[in-house]
Amino acid sequence: MAAPALQAARQWSGLALGVRLAVWNLPGITQVRWSRYAPEYRDPLIDKEYYRKPVSELTEEEKYDQELKKTQLIKAAAATETSSVFADPVISKFTNMMMKDGNKVLARLLMAQTLEAVKRKQFEKYHAASAEEQATIERNPYKIFHQALKNCEPVIGLVPILKGGHFYQVPVPLTDRRRRFLAMKWMITECRENKPRRTLMPEKLSDELLEAFHNRGPVIKRKHNMHKMAEANRALAHYRWW
Amino acid sequence: MATPSLRGRLARFANPGKPVLKPNKPLILANSVGNRRREKGEATCITEMSMMMACWKQNEFRDEACRKEIQDFFDCSSKAQEARKMRSIHETLEQSESLPPHKMTKLLQRFPNKSHLS
Repeated sequence: MAAPALQAARQWSGLALGVRLAVWNLPGITQVRWSRYAPEYRDPLIDKEYYRKPVSELTEEEKYDQELKKTQLIKAAAATETSSVFADPVISKFTNMMMKDGNKVLARLLMAQTLEAVKRKQFEKYHAASAEEQATIERNPYKIFHQALKNCEPVIGLVPILKGGHFYQVPVPLTDRRRRFLAMKWMITECRENKPRRTLMPEKLSDELLEAFHNRGPVIKRKHNMHKMAEANRALAHYRWW
Repeated sequence: MATPSLRGRLARFANPGKPVLKPNKPLILANSVGNRRREKGEATCITEMSMMMACWKQNEFRDEACRKEIQDFFDCSSKAQEARKMRSIHETLEQSESLPPHKMTKLLQRFPNKSHLS
């Protein structure tokens, strides 16, 4: 049952590819990035809770959606997306941003070592502290990671706008996605560039994460600098047209 | 009114009098249209932003002291973004008289004006 269906799917995707190329009729422009999948392939849904729901609890829409999926083609899930309890989208995104030249193995190793280093440092502090302080020390590295990145997110951004032949830095509201990206980018840049020679990345990253968790350190300072510049240029906010 | 005529307007040996038109480019229909004059929008969420900045000035740029103003600013910016998206969807659906410039250009590229013979 599986083999002929797979073969049919492969033939169909090849045919759809040919059909797609014939439909592409913008002259002078060649498509460089393309995917092996035809447009009708759906994205996979990786969520254990969704599939474990008993049939009685499904709404009309969900029942229809499940019936529809039986007839449609679905893409294969990426190797990095799992339904395990340890899969965290923020950690995956951060690992991808740390990755260089596609060396995901090394990036994942560094991420694991960073989280271990954070945990070790917090446990040392815990064992050296008195009873009242022990209640306040956070030992879960994932919670520290998330809180640190949230503390690093800027609230407002600056955009260069051309007016009268000069570029002015205009304060502009940022989307959630852009803020998260900036926080991660600043963190990684700080750890790559401003560190003493021969310090390894996990060591430096764990230090920076702990400092950001407590709202001090260079990344938080950079965020405050951005806010101060936005505050200084608040009169230019009318240069925005959106 | 019909198209005004070009007879005798350009500087050619066949035309006896002085030229009326002196075009700097050849008078051939192009395969693209110019863009429409952009509507001037105004900056949104200025009041929320100034409230937030006043709060920052008072509390030395600490974020915990200004939670409410920051939340208001975020709400305002997300609402403005949704409004902008709805407006652009509305405009793409409407378009009574003629096509928007980018669609007109695509149509002309599919049926271009040949300025060459072969």
